[in-house]
Amino acid sequence: MAVDERGLELDTVSTELRRRALRLFGRSLHIRTVDSGSCAVCESEIRLLAAPHYDLHRLGFFFTPAPRHADLLMVTGPAVRAADNLLLKAYDATPDPKAVIAVGACALGGVYPEDSLVHGAIDRVLPVDVFVPGCPPSPLALLQGLLVAVGRLEERVGALSLDLDAGSAG
Amino acid sequence: MAFWFYRGVRKGIATTRYPSTVDPWARGLPSAPGFHAARLTIPLVDRLVGECPAGALTREDQELVVDLGRCTGCGRCLELGTGAVRSTGEFLLATSDRAALIKRVPIRGDREASGGG
Amino acid sequence: MSAPGPPKALNGDGASLLPRADRIHTERVETTRLASLSHVLATEHGARLADLFADDGADGQIVLRSVYALDHESRYLVLECEIDRDRFPPLSDLDPAAFVEECEIYEQYGIRPDGVRRLNRVLVPPHRADRFPRLGRREGLRLARDYEPHVVTGEAFEFPFGPVRVTGWESLYMGLVTTGEEVLDLYLFHWHKHRGLDHRLRGLEPERATFFAERADGLSSVGDTLAFCRAVEMATGSEVPAPAAHTRAVALELERIYNHAAAVAAMCQTTGLSVGQARSEIVLERLLRCNLAAFGHRYLFGVVSPGGVRREPDAEEIRRQLPGILDEFRYVVDALLVTNSHVDRLESTGIVTPGNAHRLSLVGPVARGSGQAIDVRRDHPTGPGDEPVPVVQVQPAGDALARMRVMVAEVEEAARLIDAHLGEAGAGSEPLAGGGGAGLGWAESPRGEALAWVSLDGDGRIDGVRLRPASVRNWRAFDDAARAQNVFTDIPIIEASFWLTVAGFAR
Repeated sequence: MAVDERGLELDTVSTELRRRALRLFGRSLHIRTVDSGSCAVCESEIRLLAAPHYDLHRLGFFFTPAPRHADLLMVTGPAVRAADNLLLKAYDATPDPKAVIAVGACALGGVYPEDSLVHGAIDRVLPVDVFVPGCPPSPLALLQGLLVAVGRLEERVGALSLDLDAGSAG
Repeated sequence: MAFWFYRGVRKGIATTRYPSTVDPWARGLPSAPGFHAARLTIPLVDRLVGECPAGALTREDQELVVDLGRCTGCGRCLELGTGAVRSTGEFLLATSDRAALIKRVPIRGDREASGGG
Repeated sequence: MSAPGPPKALNGDGASLLPRADRIHTERVETTRLASLSHVLATEHGARLADLFADDGADGQIVLRSVYALDHESRYLVLECEIDRDRFPPLSDLDPAAFVEECEIYEQYGIRPDGVRRLNRVLVPPHRADRFPRLGRREGLRLARDYEPHVVTGEAFEFPFGPVRVTGWESLYMGLVTTGEEVLDLYLFHWHKHRGLDHRLRGLEPERATFFAERADGLSSVGDTLAFCRAVEMATGSEVPAPAAHTRAVALELERIYNHAAAVAAMCQTTGLSVGQARSEIVLERLLRCNLAAFGHRYLFGVVSPGGVRREPDAEEIRRQLPGILDEFRYVVDALLVTNSHVDRLESTGIVTPGNAHRLSLVGPVARGSGQAIDVRRDHPTGPGDEPVPVVQVQPAGDALARMRVMVAEVEEAARLIDAHLGEAGAGSEPLAGGGGAGLGWAESPRGEALAWVSLDGDGRIDGVRLRPASVRNWRAFDDAARAQNVFTDIPIIEASFWLTVAGFAR
């Protein structure tokens, strides 16, 4: 359970309820992007989701600049401490039910370890519902992340084994 | 302005068919590393751990622990691991469970060697 | 290229500064002479201030370094100055190009430029000011009190935008000061994205540091990493094998092409030409796939390394894919330039006057779109990677359209350069020679001159570093460009035409 600097719990709605809500939005989901200190390449891949090669609209996903319309916050970057206010405000400004998808290795705790300058991972500041690895995650990986988030695709990584010698690798 | 429309239509559809298929070009994307447990030794694993700049590799006793969430696909472990490490081709790794991104590979190379393999 | 020797004491007026032999020359200068020397360099030798930064010296003093580019003589001059008080001689009263750097030095080291009353916050966020780590070793810096709150009075008010903005645009706070429609003034706060990269690199070995240098400004990854690696190579006296130099050139030009295509797409987005945006994005996506086929990464991470390159290009794939993509790009650009609704929005928008471009020492397409013919590939060549010499593309008008024309012309030139280098591109790198030393590196990234300075200790680890992506130089021109005749809706157009990154500034 993530807490903000005031010690207040951040998600007021349980994980299960959030997941069910996401499934309700499965055919029409509005996404707001939040940058917490990325190198700008994840943003480039996110912008391409609306481009002809990927066209997220055909899957029922839409970008919105307005926090009030957003159902899902797509967050990049290692949660630099300089971005504390902007992350919490973006989260608070989005009405429930909402969810957070953390995108990229920085957002998942790689690249920048936690220190006095950065938190190092989004889930140290906000409750994260879906994690999308990659540096950057390609638009295909981002689409998979969105479809997993709304329950239209099964997750694959759980069954994946990195042991190449194991008998029946996932 | 009409020429934009006609030119575009003539060029056809560029959109990916994902999720029904994954585009062939995507096979070249950086992907999760896979490890031959039988070729992993503790000295090699310790070198791999030291080499990973994103902190995705750690060693816990006789296991290599790989955090796919932290992995950037930089390929340093592939270059250093020569033969013990190979690309899996897996890059669709999204999950709602952060723990599902933590994978363990047993380090069996030492035992194989000492077992007279 | 051997490392510069120990700085020699300066005498005379300025003529003695410029021995002809070296491509880079370092001079130790007395504090009292710094300002007048800088003035002489700028006025009599046509020097361009490329960077100004500080570093902790050996005995508790602070060393101030100013880097001047003598583009006509293909040389960089580094003036080093020891500061043992709380104040240092300002350059910004004579050279406005130094102001942002002086503010940054104050923030990080606590030393003020003499006589400069008003300083701006650059990278340290206000809500954490006192607890934020600094590069300097001085304790107890209390900066929060030193910044005047900016106050907008009279009939004007400040309209805040951001820092969280439109989909896929980086966090950046813009305060638009206006009485209604016209933009009177513009404040930009970049500090929301400060990651403290210069901190992180200290103590690392160059190869590990490259991983972070690549991610300072991901869209200029090759350019910035090349500048960093060249600094390391100069510090260690290492030579890069010729095939690697050619590979570096190929990667750099591929990076330039995709960035310029992305800028064209962004300009279409901001002028509201959705169909132009879509077609430009098709080109951009094809270019990124070409990058993937060529070098194994859509954004060309992991190519340049200290001493050479980690990968060689798949020349066959580049030759197969790139010509068709460029044909499509030309097709799109031709259509854009006859689409009046688009061209009208770009013409006369966001004018950076040649005077401002020179005064603020701008770099890259922003400078070249305002008539400044500077390009470090031509002006400061480093070896086989810089031959053939690129033709520098310049436009006089200084508006968004001029910047677009420069970018389009640079894409053609980049294609020609890739063709020239591809046949000789190969893999490999020289292991770095050991020992310590300092070095300066530069490269013409898609956004302009990227600089890096590095100092290595006896074990070959970094004990001082300065990364200066091109965005550090160019954002300061943004408020001038946005003022006066422009209206609110022009601001995104200007931002797209500049095509900088916040990450590159905030590091």
